[in-house]
Amino acid sequence: MENFLQAIDSLTIRFALAAVLLPLLAFVVNVCLPGKNNKVAGWISTLAILTSAVFSVFVFSKVWNQHQVHQQQLWFTIGETKVYAGILLNNLSVLMLLLVSLIALPVHIYSTAYMKKDESSKRYFAYLSFFCFSMLALVVIDNLILFYIFWELVGFSSYLLIGFWFTRSKAVLANKKAFIMNRIGDIGLLVAIAILFSVYHTFDIDQLFGANALVRSTTFELPGGWQFVAFGGIALAVAAKSAQFPLHTWLPDAMEGPTSVSALIHAATMVAAGVFLLGRVYPVFTEVELTILVIIGAFTAFMAATIALTQNDLKRILAYSTISQLGFMVMAMGIGAYSSSLFHLATHAFFKCLLFLVAGIVIHEMQHVKEEYDLDIDPQNVLYMGGLGKKMPLTFITALIGGIALIGLPLTSGYLSKDGILIQAFEWSEGKPVLYRLIPIGAMLTSWLTAFYVTRLIVKVFFGEFKLAQINPGIKLHISDGGWQYKLPLVFLAACCLFPLFSLNPFLYEHAWLLNGFPKITGLDRVNIYHTIVPAGLNILSLFVIYWAYAVYVMQKALPFPEGGWLFRVSYHEWYIDKIYSKIIIGPVLALSKSARWSDVNIIDGFLHLLQRIGIAFSKVADWTDRYIIDGFLHLIASIVLGIGNFARSFQGGKVQYYLFSMLAIILAIFLFKILI
Amino acid sequence: MIGLSDFLIVGAGLFCVGLYIILTKHNAIQVLIGIEMMLNAAILNLVAFGKYDRFYNGGQMFALFAIVLAAATTAVALAIILNVYKKYKTIDPDQIHELKD
Repeated sequence: MENFLQAIDSLTIRFALAAVLLPLLAFVVNVCLPGKNNKVAGWISTLAILTSAVFSVFVFSKVWNQHQVHQQQLWFTIGETKVYAGILLNNLSVLMLLLVSLIALPVHIYSTAYMKKDESSKRYFAYLSFFCFSMLALVVIDNLILFYIFWELVGFSSYLLIGFWFTRSKAVLANKKAFIMNRIGDIGLLVAIAILFSVYHTFDIDQLFGANALVRSTTFELPGGWQFVAFGGIALAVAAKSAQFPLHTWLPDAMEGPTSVSALIHAATMVAAGVFLLGRVYPVFTEVELTILVIIGAFTAFMAATIALTQNDLKRILAYSTISQLGFMVMAMGIGAYSSSLFHLATHAFFKCLLFLVAGIVIHEMQHVKEEYDLDIDPQNVLYMGGLGKKMPLTFITALIGGIALIGLPLTSGYLSKDGILIQAFEWSEGKPVLYRLIPIGAMLTSWLTAFYVTRLIVKVFFGEFKLAQINPGIKLHISDGGWQYKLPLVFLAACCLFPLFSLNPFLYEHAWLLNGFPKITGLDRVNIYHTIVPAGLNILSLFVIYWAYAVYVMQKALPFPEGGWLFRVSYHEWYIDKIYSKIIIGPVLALSKSARWSDVNIIDGFLHLLQRIGIAFSKVADWTDRYIIDGFLHLIASIVLGIGNFARSFQGGKVQYYLFSMLAIILAIFLFKILI
Repeated sequence: MIGLSDFLIVGAGLFCVGLYIILTKHNAIQVLIGIEMMLNAAILNLVAFGKYDRFYNGGQMFALFAIVLAAATTAVALAIILNVYKKYKTIDPDQIHELKD
């Protein structure tokens, strides 16, 4: 029996490994493929991710709610510390494994159509496969160093994909921004890992945070200050990767990448890595630290929702909504709703991915209109859209489902997960000072804001009349849902946004099967009135908000807040955060670099130039000595010898008269000599 | 009264003039003239000292031989100059320096 179990376990591990490595293989194959736009590339990546998804389903079925599977091998030894690396499959990692591969599959299929006309689609699929590999490896790895490596790789592939159209200067700026912001978080994570290792002497995630978590044991305790630094590092990493305040500003800009990338990476999977990290290291946090997480998450959720109200760029609205939902997840982690947070992560991945894919189709079609009539418009601007629902019915219906799930109305997955978080937020604030009440109330407010901006988005895009045609009556729309590569992912994801996938009871989140996979929490029992009042109140008011938004944007009744008012401006300019950053951080950094450059040019270079000048002067002196004294001496000797030689030569000049003259001179000399002596 | 020393002085002057001509002139024939002058200075000395041999007149005899020989050598020298001119198209001894190694 024991052996049998071990055999099953090792099979599971192998399947997990295969699921992780297949996208890497696809990446390698794609890189080696000839040509730039190779049709095969897309299908290789899709096939790899399809196989990964199948393996993930198998692994999930073997591990979920059963014993965790953990295999590792000695990686290297430093002194007496042995570092192991391996694969850790527990409920959290298999959930993520399944989620990532399941989301990646429709996105891959979608991409084969979406990137068909792009001239370097091969590079796109190579990057996409590479991202899938990094992400899948990130969720199953059991070693903090490798975790960090894959964390970096995920960020790096996101960087590559944001800047996929690297000829656009905006894309390059955006990917640089994303990379730098993520670096800030990565440093935090590295610091946290270093602190944990210095105390516990292991990188093993299972040992550190598993069942008998070292971080919870009393024998080794992190000194108070260091504990807080480690938390700060992790919080920074989470804030950067999951786009939480104050490091969230890269995500809206990251929408410069292809929309399918935004769907996979910047909505569903990579940005969830921060929440996943929180889930992995959860036992390390103390009460105070969790409260800080709550504040970060709640503030981010509220802020992003208010910004999303007034944005006009379709993808930017969705990006801010993603930030807002990630804020919900982080907040849920903070209030102890561990399982609800991960539940929301899973449901959000599906509906946000769906919405992004819808946005991709809409933008694609708008681009067609733009090119066909040679218009000077931004194809992502919702103000030019409208009435598209009639032309693209499937897209419209799926967008509606996704939108409703995002708002969190009953019968959708979003209802189950989001209301769970809200209920637990209310329970958490119970018995705490009044100030703590702000959190659940803020979260509720955020929910209504979400209802408003989602309605605004959907109404602006799909309802009413086509705005471009109103301005420009010559335009005839002939757009459609697109081929099966577009339709299939939409239908699949829309199906995943509905309640049956997660809970058989569409109204009670407590019945969701996903919640049973994680440590039991108190919020699962219907002990108090919140479990009834919160969902009911929330949803009734949400319906009002939706109607209000519909009234505002379709029937043009009234504006919610006047354009130009300070509230509108704060929201439209994204709380001026980018401007504040450029004033407070970028400005001084630039000034610092300028002064550093100045000192480089004038002081360091100046010193070097001085040395150089001194050197040159010395060599000139040496040169002069060489030339005039040493060479001069030699030349003098040479010229003396030459003179003597010439003098002696002249006697043998071949001229008769000279011979005679010399004879005479010699004879005279002899005579003079004789006379004188 | 013209004494022996006057002859010797004239001979020495003649010799010096001849020597000067040999060393300075750029014409082989002039050089030859210089040689003749030096030869005649020597012959003058022979004749001047010949007064001490009144019996045999050896000095005068020798002078006669010398004059004959000088004539012969002059003829030879002129022939050489002629040949030199044929070969070098010049008789400037400065221009003819084939004697050097």
